Amino acid sequence: MNRASILTLAVATASWLAPLAANAKEGAAPEDVIISRPGVLPSAVLEMTDEPGKWFKDPKSGGSLVVIKPGEAALIKMTDTNTDHTITSLIWQPGAAKFPVDQEKPSNASVTQTFDKPGLYVFTCKVHPYMFGAVVVDDPATEGLDLGGEIQLVTGAKVPTTSDIAKKLLRTFFVATTPTLWRDYGKPSWEVKLPDLAVNLGGAVIKLSALNLSAPNALLQPKTPGVGEVWVNTQFEGVSGKTKFGTATQIDASNWTIKQKVKGVEQNMNNPHNMWTDAAYKYIYQTEWFDKRLTTFDRVTGKVYNTQIVGQNPSHAMSNPLNAMLYVAINGEDRVLKLSPGEYPTAMGSINVGPHSGPHGHHITDDGKYMVTPNALASSVSVVDLATEKMTEIRTGGVIPIAAWSDMNHKAYVANLLGTPPKLLSSLTVIDMDAKKKVADIDIAADYDPISGAHKGEAYGLLPIQTPVSPDGKYVVTANTLSATVTVLDTKTHKVVKSLPCEPGCHGVNFGLKKGGGYYAYVASKFANDLVVIDMDKLEVAGRVLLADPKDGLITAHNGMGGQGVLPLPLAEPGMLAPTLKLAGSGKLSAEVEGWLKLVTKEQRGD
Amino acid sequence: MIKTLLHLGSLLAAAAVFLSAPGVMLAANVAFAGEHHLITLKASALPSGQLAYEMVSHKIRSADGKEREVTGKYAQGPTIPGPTLVLTEGDDAEVTLEHGFADSPQPVSIHVHGVHYKIDSDGTMKLLNGVADEAAFPGKPYTYKWTAAPGTAGTWAYHDHTFGNPMLGAEDKGLFGMLIVNPASGKVPALIDGKVVDVDLSEIKREFILWMHETTFWGQELNHIVEGDKEVPLWSNPMLGARLGEKVRFHVIGLGTAFHTFHLHGHRWIESGGTNVVDTVNISPISRIAFVVKAGEGVGPGDWHYHCHVIQHMQSGMMADFKVVE
Repeated sequence: MNRASILTLAVATASWLAPLAANAKEGAAPEDVIISRPGVLPSAVLEMTDEPGKWFKDPKSGGSLVVIKPGEAALIKMTDTNTDHTITSLIWQPGAAKFPVDQEKPSNASVTQTFDKPGLYVFTCKVHPYMFGAVVVDDPATEGLDLGGEIQLVTGAKVPTTSDIAKKLLRTFFVATTPTLWRDYGKPSWEVKLPDLAVNLGGAVIKLSALNLSAPNALLQPKTPGVGEVWVNTQFEGVSGKTKFGTATQIDASNWTIKQKVKGVEQNMNNPHNMWTDAAYKYIYQTEWFDKRLTTFDRVTGKVYNTQIVGQNPSHAMSNPLNAMLYVAINGEDRVLKLSPGEYPTAMGSINVGPHSGPHGHHITDDGKYMVTPNALASSVSVVDLATEKMTEIRTGGVIPIAAWSDMNHKAYVANLLGTPPKLLSSLTVIDMDAKKKVADIDIAADYDPISGAHKGEAYGLLPIQTPVSPDGKYVVTANTLSATVTVLDTKTHKVVKSLPCEPGCHGVNFGLKKGGGYYAYVASKFANDLVVIDMDKLEVAGRVLLADPKDGLITAHNGMGGQGVLPLPLAEPGMLAPTLKLAGSGKLSAEVEGWLKLVTKEQRGD
Repeated sequence: MIKTLLHLGSLLAAAAVFLSAPGVMLAANVAFAGEHHLITLKASALPSGQLAYEMVSHKIRSADGKEREVTGKYAQGPTIPGPTLVLTEGDDAEVTLEHGFADSPQPVSIHVHGVHYKIDSDGTMKLLNGVADEAAFPGKPYTYKWTAAPGTAGTWAYHDHTFGNPMLGAEDKGLFGMLIVNPASGKVPALIDGKVVDVDLSEIKREFILWMHETTFWGQELNHIVEGDKEVPLWSNPMLGARLGEKVRFHVIGLGTAFHTFHLHGHRWIESGGTNVVDTVNISPISRIAFVVKAGEGVGPGDWHYHCHVIQHMQSGMMADFKVVE
């Protein structure tokens, strides 16, 4: 007796099942017997990765855009990344069912999403808001690929897809996710060439190639040397011998040449994002943003002393000039980790900056009194009194507050990557740290028309990231990733006084000392391989220095690309420079550093 | 002296095995009417780009030499989870894997848990097993030999161990499936009508296979009511369904990195190998439970929720219903 007949017999003896059994015996369709109903079978997959440009990767094409039909689903998962992320809608179709998607906290959780409405949907990660993946829901009955007539932005704005802001976002999506479209200064020009694919903007059919652009590439040697050196995290460089990406590039500011690239091959250093140093400039503390680690290496030799787990997505590092303690923002969590300085930093405690906060680019006042954290996941800013570690969280309403910087009067400027709804597309929030309150929101795109694209005045900064205050307190210099501009804000008037050209993915800014007096602002961009040098006396671009090293045979991909954290040495803020100046002549500084300090002018010392 | 003692010890152990042997031998004798399974699977890609196993053919040769084809009970094409293979203690299987990826020369394998196999059926690369690359390459299938020896009854995983990464494989891209080895006794303990009893496998109408991966359940039903059985792919977070009073068996297993707590509303069961009554169990990667419930026992019909009880996973939608109908 085989198993089936045993079953039939057993079923037949159960009287209440008899009709069903009879059906089964007569070969009834399984649909009558099977009560279970299938769940969703995804039609497309995007796998989140640490790989530059391929942050949401289609396993079939290797690209970051998948096309499905209305009613179908896509699975977004995080199987190829060393750290936690969120899956969050950046752009979606107005009125689409079950939108927006937003994972509140970083984790490794996947999303299976069904799409009912044709058009463009873009996903990002709130911790790493340039990780982009797109789903195009295409109705086969319409002409061209359906992008929809309008897009809903996470900021609350709803704009036509024919608008300038929509086109900028779309072009940025393709540039960010296509390394061959990054701006390579090893070539004579930058060519963004997209396919002649027909796209349907809610009825208007255009070619995707309408977004093409071309610009000549010209490097420029700054005429006046800088003092010391500039470290730039070339976060996207591929390196022979490791599977993860990124290096730290050291530039000699006296002649604008590359001294070395610290690669962390043995450690498989992963997406190095931001750096800090100790008072003697012996060590570089390096965060690994798409990982959980802090790496300490020798500033001169590049030798790695120590790599340690500090938490999910460590983003920025900075010291308290009063006691040399190192503070590392744990972007994927709710805290800033405090460590002792040295060859082997040791965790001394954590400062919680509020629930679900995700602090990114924090700043410490140069008198060592306060730390300010922009809480990327919480639309808030936290002010910590470093002596007592008392924390005050201030609601700002900004969307993805990503970087902060404070001046010597305890006024902090916080860049909100996606503005302050409902009115401001692009904003800086001003915080009074003593009073623990928001003072103002400044519109740094006030002169830009998002529909026509016209920008008649200087206030043209879209998607601001790093936003340091100049060491003399006069200006706030902001790197704007979407408009590829650097905006210069007058701290007295809160007006943008200058908008300067940057690069695609304009990201990191920091100040260094100009030889003979004054400051340079050094600006690094993710999707270009040059460092923009801005003369803060003239408020003009003084140079474009190549971050690629064509002679370095260990660089296998994206040479010089991925510019993010910038650390000029000596540190330019007088309060941050003071601990090093104190060591001058003590024998604790190298001859090289002593040489730099001799070049520091009285004004630069802050005397 | 120590050697002598050890020797004496092993003699005593051997004697103990011998003394306890008759019962085992009896059971084994019955089971060794074991059947021989000839299975061909293929690893290929779903339209989404997810990887998956599919059934190509399954023939069973009984002890008397008669062969029957059971391929028809499986779903057609690749599925996640892959085909559920069912053996009985005493059976053996020859499982051939074909490489079905048009655009990748990467080796793909089957590494099985639970049953006996020789080192050349480990389903790993030579780098790990020291013997051979035990994987299918394009145009070169690989055959694994498994023995569902006495003592291997249970619910087990099989998965890839080589694709894309010779140390890890690509199980978390969809290359996983389940092997159920039923006990030779034909009975499994279960909590039925408030008592722990042995349930005859022939009384089980439906089996629900649930893989807990990241924040998704990947499901399948093995339906025993349909003549010749029917395996139904249920994909992600499916609604499971049964009739009131039917005895149904759940097989729940983990995969990947996350740790889960499986909970089914309105039902209780006994922990594997014990009498402890639970309604929630921990599921870690490749750890599993199998349990029988009487659908709606004591609680009646309804849409009984099942879900992972880790809050963050619930927030990500790791849930669905067990529908019990009259």
